[in-house]
Amino acid sequence: MCVRVLLVEDDERIRQALSLALSDEGFAVDEAGSGEVALRRLDAEPFDVVLVDLTLPGLDGLDVVRTLRARGDLPIIVVTARADARDMIAGLEAGADDYVTKPLMGDVLAARVRALLRRRGPGRDAVRVGDLEIRPQEGLVHRAGERVHLTRTEFRLLLELAGAGGRIVTREQLLHKVWGYDYFGDTRLLDVHIRRLRRKVEANPDHPQLVLTVRGSGYRIPS
Amino acid sequence: MRLTLRRRVTLSFTLGLLVVTGVLALSTWNLATGYLLRQREASATRQAELDARLATTSTALSDLLTGPDSAILVLGPRGTRSAGRPVDPALLPAALLDRPPGTARITVDGAPMLVVALPLPGEDVYVELFGLRHLHRTFTFLGLALAAATAGAALLGVALGGWASKRALRPLAELGSAAGRIAGGDLRARLPDQDDPDLAALAAKFNSTAQALEQRALRDARFASDVSHELRSPLTTMVNAGAVLRRRGEHLRGTAGTALELLTSEVDRFARMVVDLLEISRADQTDDPPPEEIALDALVRDVVAAREPVPLDLEPAVVLGDRRRLDRVLTNLLDNAERHAGGAVLVRVRTCGDRVRLSVEDAGPGVPEDLREEVFERFARGVMAGSRGDDTGSGLGLALVREHVHRLGGRVWVEGRSPVGARFVVEMVLRSSDG
Repeated sequence: MCVRVLLVEDDERIRQALSLALSDEGFAVDEAGSGEVALRRLDAEPFDVVLVDLTLPGLDGLDVVRTLRARGDLPIIVVTARADARDMIAGLEAGADDYVTKPLMGDVLAARVRALLRRRGPGRDAVRVGDLEIRPQEGLVHRAGERVHLTRTEFRLLLELAGAGGRIVTREQLLHKVWGYDYFGDTRLLDVHIRRLRRKVEANPDHPQLVLTVRGSGYRIPS
Repeated sequence: MRLTLRRRVTLSFTLGLLVVTGVLALSTWNLATGYLLRQREASATRQAELDARLATTSTALSDLLTGPDSAILVLGPRGTRSAGRPVDPALLPAALLDRPPGTARITVDGAPMLVVALPLPGEDVYVELFGLRHLHRTFTFLGLALAAATAGAALLGVALGGWASKRALRPLAELGSAAGRIAGGDLRARLPDQDDPDLAALAAKFNSTAQALEQRALRDARFASDVSHELRSPLTTMVNAGAVLRRRGEHLRGTAGTALELLTSEVDRFARMVVDLLEISRADQTDDPPPEEIALDALVRDVVAAREPVPLDLEPAVVLGDRRRLDRVLTNLLDNAERHAGGAVLVRVRTCGDRVRLSVEDAGPGVPEDLREEVFERFARGVMAGSRGDDTGSGLGLALVREHVHRLGGRVWVEGRSPVGARFVVEMVLRSSDG
């Protein structure tokens, strides 16, 4: 299976170099020089993952992410030049699944993409926690009988937590299993996703009953 | 020993007040005693004149005595008559007896006396002695009172001087503490506005200097950040193009292959350096998330799990801080051990009172004692010149460790390890040890 990647980046040299490196990693890379071009291409063709530079001329990278997220759960990786927490969190809040900062290496980016596209473990039975019913086979989540729309990353995060049978899952384990991080770094990526997940599955996201924070170590879903 | 400014101000106050009150006390003493003596002399003379007239009219001398201390003598060629306290005529001043009338003060048997001599008709001289004990007691009391007042004034001077100097020097103390804060790295320290025109100028100058310094430091930090930032785009192109080339390295043998290897590895190092530079220029900024409780032992286990296995010796310990910084500290220390000492041999977490120590030990060549501060400086690579391997770091790894540890409110140092090697120790405040 060939993974189709759309690379949205205005700097032509970076675009070419990344495109070469990702092709070397076995991806089919298409390039877009602006947000407008990217959205047009995504309308016309199917892609497996989109890499979006946040600083684009014209349509801003954040707007591209927001538009794409409103359309569906296409995996999005944000590429930021600034490593400021604000930019990164804004990108994740807009709906990105992961982020990388420049200078980024093609192989690191490839690992990120592969982690994002990893299929859920086969043969898992449906899991019930609280009033949530998770069906890993179909990738569906129902809350009190009603369908909840989760992105692929949110789904895998929920599944990791629900599958632990009430045990604590540390932040590092989550980063490793969901995002494929083997360098345990920024857990803000996780914080933002937990926030997003709570907004969708909790009755009151400010007072979570389901996805509980275990101070100092991680999260757990009581079984 | 030089006195402090405050002491000197206090001392001048005290001395000044002492001199003024001393002069005042002395003149008061002189005026008061002189006046009282003159009064006493005048009244004694009047009394003696009266008594002398009575003495000529054959009144008994003893009837004329005014008190137990007094004495009367009538001296003449026909002999001496006396009454009252016995007084040796030889004690009386000769000049007074030769040329009466006159007065003099003498001491008889330790008692002060006033002598009044008056001529009597004929060759006789009437001499009356008055006791001055009362007057002298008054003088003693006056003297004591004046001395006490002078001493009191001196004490007041000390207190007043101390208070005034403290008040006057308060802006200086503020200046000192503000300068201290700036020296300690807090470039936002300023002096409060001063009412006094002299001090206002000083405060304004100090504040403008501090502001210039702060802006300059900010400008420098921004410049480093901007430079690193601008380097990111070309670096992204370079590292990726390099990676593509490296994959095809087998097609390039010999000189070209070596050159390619050199180029790509240096580009990688350059990229790491830029990333670290950005991190260090960001380390000063305050975009930290609110500090959270971190289980240090669990964090160590997780970080090490992703690397070459290292023996662990962990006690449960919870600290407060930013997880990202702590991750980076441990990762950099492990990287450092790998780069210079063939890898860490032990990672230990030990609680000690209200502190917790995270130490990374290696069995490498160790760090010479005189370089143990220097290794934490930026680009202190000359220090490790002998141990540079193929995989050289950015030269910022340990400097970043120090920055992060400072931001975490702890301290870091390196010590010798027996028999060989180095032990890098990070000490932080322990939140709790219940894991």
